[in-house]
Amino acid sequence: MREGFSAINPYWDKDFFQFFSVFFSRLFYLLTGQLSLTDLASDEVQVFVLALVAISCGLLGVFLVLRKITMLANSLSHTILLGIVLAFVITRSLATYAGEEFSINFEILLIAALISAFLTTLFTQFLTHTVHLQEDASIGLVFTSLFAFGVVLVTSLSRSSHIGIEAVMGNVDALHVTDLKLIGLVTLINALAFSVFFKEFQLTSFDSVLATSLGISAKFFNYLIMVLVAMTSIGAFRAVGVLLVLSFLVAPAISARLLTNNLKTLLFLACSLGLFCSLCGVALSRHILSFYHIPLSTAGIVVTLMTLCYTLILVAKKTLKLAAKKRRA
Amino acid sequence: MNEEILHIENLSVNYDKTAVLWDISLSVPGGKLIGIIGPNGAGKSTLLKASMGLVSPITGKVEFYGKPFKKVRDRIAYVPQRSSVDWDFPVTVFDVVLMGIYGKLGFFKWPKLAHKEAAKQALEKVGMLAFAGRQISQLSSGQQQRVFIARALLQEADVYLLDEPFAGVDMATEKTIITLLDKLKAEGKTIFVVHHDLTCVDKYFDWVIMLNTCLIASGPVEDVFHAENLMRTYGKSAILLDEAAKLSQTKSAGL
Amino acid sequence: MNYSLFDFFTDPVFRAPTIGSMLMCLASSLIGVLVFIRRRSLLGEALSHATYPGVVISLVIMSLYFPDSEEKAALGILIGAFAFAFLGLFVIHQMETKLRVKSDAALCFVLSSFFGLGILIASRIQITHVSWYKKIQLFLYGQSATMTDIHILIYGALSLLIIAFLLLLFRSIKAIYFDVDFTKSLGMRVNFFENMIFLLLVLAICIGIRSVGVVLMSGMLIAPAIGARQYTHKLSLLFVLSGFFGMFSGFFGNYLSVFIPLVLQKEGEKTFSLPTGPMILLFAAFICALSFLVAPHTGLLSRSMRIIQFRRKCVVENALKTLWKKGIGEGAKKQAIFDGLKITRISSFFVLLKLVRQGWVEKLPSKNYQLTPFGFEYASRIVRLHRLWEVYLVSYLGQKVEKVHRNAEEMEHIITPELERELTELLKDPKIDPHKQPIPAKIGEL
Repeated sequence: MREGFSAINPYWDKDFFQFFSVFFSRLFYLLTGQLSLTDLASDEVQVFVLALVAISCGLLGVFLVLRKITMLANSLSHTILLGIVLAFVITRSLATYAGEEFSINFEILLIAALISAFLTTLFTQFLTHTVHLQEDASIGLVFTSLFAFGVVLVTSLSRSSHIGIEAVMGNVDALHVTDLKLIGLVTLINALAFSVFFKEFQLTSFDSVLATSLGISAKFFNYLIMVLVAMTSIGAFRAVGVLLVLSFLVAPAISARLLTNNLKTLLFLACSLGLFCSLCGVALSRHILSFYHIPLSTAGIVVTLMTLCYTLILVAKKTLKLAAKKRRA
Repeated sequence: MNEEILHIENLSVNYDKTAVLWDISLSVPGGKLIGIIGPNGAGKSTLLKASMGLVSPITGKVEFYGKPFKKVRDRIAYVPQRSSVDWDFPVTVFDVVLMGIYGKLGFFKWPKLAHKEAAKQALEKVGMLAFAGRQISQLSSGQQQRVFIARALLQEADVYLLDEPFAGVDMATEKTIITLLDKLKAEGKTIFVVHHDLTCVDKYFDWVIMLNTCLIASGPVEDVFHAENLMRTYGKSAILLDEAAKLSQTKSAGL
Repeated sequence: MNYSLFDFFTDPVFRAPTIGSMLMCLASSLIGVLVFIRRRSLLGEALSHATYPGVVISLVIMSLYFPDSEEKAALGILIGAFAFAFLGLFVIHQMETKLRVKSDAALCFVLSSFFGLGILIASRIQITHVSWYKKIQLFLYGQSATMTDIHILIYGALSLLIIAFLLLLFRSIKAIYFDVDFTKSLGMRVNFFENMIFLLLVLAICIGIRSVGVVLMSGMLIAPAIGARQYTHKLSLLFVLSGFFGMFSGFFGNYLSVFIPLVLQKEGEKTFSLPTGPMILLFAAFICALSFLVAPHTGLLSRSMRIIQFRRKCVVENALKTLWKKGIGEGAKKQAIFDGLKITRISSFFVLLKLVRQGWVEKLPSKNYQLTPFGFEYASRIVRLHRLWEVYLVSYLGQKVEKVHRNAEEMEHIITPELERELTELLKDPKIDPHKQPIPAKIGEL
C-alpha cells in the first residue's frame, strides 16, 4: 500500500505534533468502532505494526539478554529467511511471487519458524557435538551459510534481488493490514507465553540446573524461546527486516536494565521504551516527509531513536551519580 | 531410620572425551551427614547430577528410596554450586528463596501467602531475613550460600544434596551452615555434601564417599577415612586410570 | 558464452573481480585464523555491520566531491568503513568493561545500532540519487562484478600489508595465542599485539566487504579457518590452508555467481544476477562440509573406519584369547571358538579364516584349530594386559574382585605399550592376578 493520494491519507503534510493529535483522535474512533481496520492509513498501520513488534521484542529481549543468548537470536533471525523460502516452496511456488506482493500468512509463519529453529539447532548441535567445533564458530558458520543459501534460493527463484534486500532492511511502506493481523497474533502468543510461564522463564533463566532438578525442563523452555524468537522475527520481517529486529530485542532491554532491578518492571519498561520509540519514529518520519519532502527509512529512524534512548539514559544515570558523589563530598 | 536412601549400581558417566565416573556402585543408609570427597575432576558434582538425571549415564542406575529420582523428586532438595548462577540477575533474596517451590506449584499456579510466610521462616533459619529485599548482586559469597540453603529448606525435603557449599565461604557462614545441617540430621533428614577439600571431614560427616572417577570407598567415617584410602583417592595411582579412560574415549570416537 | 577458466584471470572484465575477490578473501581468511583461535568470531559479525554507516557516508561524500575517480571512491569507502568499525570496536570495549553489559548484548547492540544508522542515512538518498544508492546496496551482499584494475591494486596492496604483518609477527603470535600466561611473565607487551590484531581485523573486514558483503563477512572470516582446522593444529599450516581455502572460495564464488544465473536463465526471462557474497560463503561452507567428512584424521569417514577397524580387532583378540585358554596341544573345535565371540556364525567363520590367513592360527589334522607361536605371543600379551589391569583396579583402586573382569575385558584391547610399561612399574611386575591366575610374562623386552 504505497502512499496514496494526499486526500486519502489524513497524515499528509502533518508535522510531528500534529501527527499525534490526528493519531490519537483516530485511535479513539477506532476503539469506539467508528473506524474499521480497513480504513487505517498507512502511517497507522506502521505505528501499530512497529508497536506490536516492540512489545513482542521487549518481552523476548529481556530474557534473551538475561540468558546471554542474544547472538543466538541474531543467528536465528537470519535463518528465518531460509525458513520462509522453504515454507513458501512447500506450500506453493515462490516464482509466482516474483513481484512485490508477497505476504506471509500464519500457516507459513508457523512452518517457517519451526523449520528455522529446527535447522539452526540441528546444524549447530552437529558442529559442536560431532565435529567438536567451538560454540561461537558453530553459530557463526551455521547462520551465515543458511542465510547465504536462503538469499541464493530466493534470488534464483524470484529472479530478482528485491526480496533479498528487503530481507535485510524491511519495507515499512509496504505493510498491509494482513501484516498487522499477523504480528498481532505473534504478540498475543508472546504475551500469553510470558505471563503464563513467567515464573518458569524466571527460574530457567536464573538457575537452569535447579529448574531441571525441580522438574521444570530447562531444555523445553530454551526451545520455546527459540521458537518464539523465530516467530517474532518472521512477524517483524516485513516491517524491519532481519537485522533491525535485533535492535528491537536488545536496545530496549539494556536501556531498561539501567533503570530497574525488578524483572517485571524490566519487562514493562522494555516494552514501553520500544513502543515510545516506534510511535515517535513514525511521527518523525512523517514530519520529515511533510516538511523536507524526504522519505527516510522509518525502521532506521526507530532504531536510531532506540540507540539514542540508551545513550541518554546512560548519560543521565552517570551524571546523577556524579552529582550524588559531589554532594556527599 | 536405617533404610537405604541411596542406591547406585554400575554407574558410568562420560563428559566429552573423558570418563568422569566409572562403574560406581554403593548404598547409603538414611539419617546421616554424608561427605563426598575427591580431587578436582573426580566426578563428585557429576555424581549428584547423575543421581538427579541432570546428566545421562552410559550405564547404570541410581535410586532414591528404591525409586528413580523423577518419582521421588518432592522428597529431595538440590543446592547447586554458587558459580553455576549469574549473580547479576535482577532478582531479590526473597525471590530466590521463593523459587524453591516452583516445582511443587506446577504450571499456571502462583506462590500464595502461606508459601511466602514459609520463605520468610527459611530466611530466618539461615539468618538472612533482614536481607530479604536486597538485590542478590549485593551479597557476599557467604550470604549467597545461605540464600541457596534457605531455598532448599523451603522444599521441606527428606534428602538434601549440596554441591560444594563451603567453597569460598567465611568461617561464620560455614559454622551456621554446619549447625543447620546437624539440626536437619537430628530431624532424621539425610544430607549429602560434596566437599571441596579435606578440612574437617571427620568433624562434620558421619559417612564418607571417596571418589576418584571410580569409587575408592564408601562407609562410616571411622572405618573408611584413613591414610590408605586417602592415598588411593588423591595419590598418583589414579593418573593411570585417567590415561586409560582417555584412551578408551578416543577409541570409541574413532580418533 | 564459452569462457575457459583462464579467461577469468586475463579478460579485462573478469580479471579484476576474480583476482580482487581472491586477494580480499585471502586477507580475511588469514586474519580469520586468529579470530577463530581466540573465539571472537562474533566480534567479526558486529564489526562488519558497524562498517555500513561508514560505507554510506563516504560513498555519498566521494560521489559528491570526486564523482569521476574510482580510486578515490574506493579509498574513501575504505577509510569510512575503517573509521566506523573502529568506533564500533571502541564502543563494544567500553560497554563490556565500563558499563557492565555482557559481551553478547554489547556486540548485538553495536551491530544493530550502527547498521540501523547506516540504513537511515542510506534512505536519505534512496530516491534522490538512485545510482549512489545502488552502489551502497552492493556492499550488503557483495558484488565484485563492477570492480576494476584499480581495485586489484588497492586491495592487493592492503592484503600484502596484512600478510607482511602476519609473517613478521608470526613468532609472537604463536607465543601469545598459545600461552598467554607464559608470555605475560616474560613481560612481552601482550596488549600491544592484541590491539595490532584488532586493527588488522578491522582492515581485513573493510577490504572484504566489497566482495562478500557486510552481512556475510563474519562467516567468510572463519569458514576457511574452520575447514583448515580439520587438517591440522599447527599455526603455520592453519594460515597456509586457510589462505588457500579462502582464495578458492573467492574464485569459485565469483565464477558460480556468474555461471548459475546463466544456467537457470530460460528463454525470454529477464536477466538476473546473483550477488557474489553468498556464493563465496557457500563455497567456503562447502569446503568445510567436505573437510568434516574426508579430513584424514578428524574427518567423519576416517573416524568411522577406525571405529570399525577397532571393533574387528577386538573380535580377533577375543578369539585368540579363547584359543590361548585351551592351551597348546589339542587345540579347540570351531564351535568352541564361535561361542566365545558375540557375533553371527557367518562372521565368526570369516574371522577364523582371517586368523588362519594372517598366521595367528593353524588348522590341525584333527580339524581343530590352535595358535601358532606368533599367535601364542599375541594372545599372551592380551591376557597379560587383562590381568595386569585387574591387579591395578583391585590393589590400587580398591575395587572388588568380582567387578574388575568386565572392565578388563574392555581395557585389554586399549592399553598401549607405554601404559603397559607404567602399569608393570607401578605394580612391581606382579605374577598372579586377583583371580589367582598366572600373569604371562612381558614378551620381547627391548
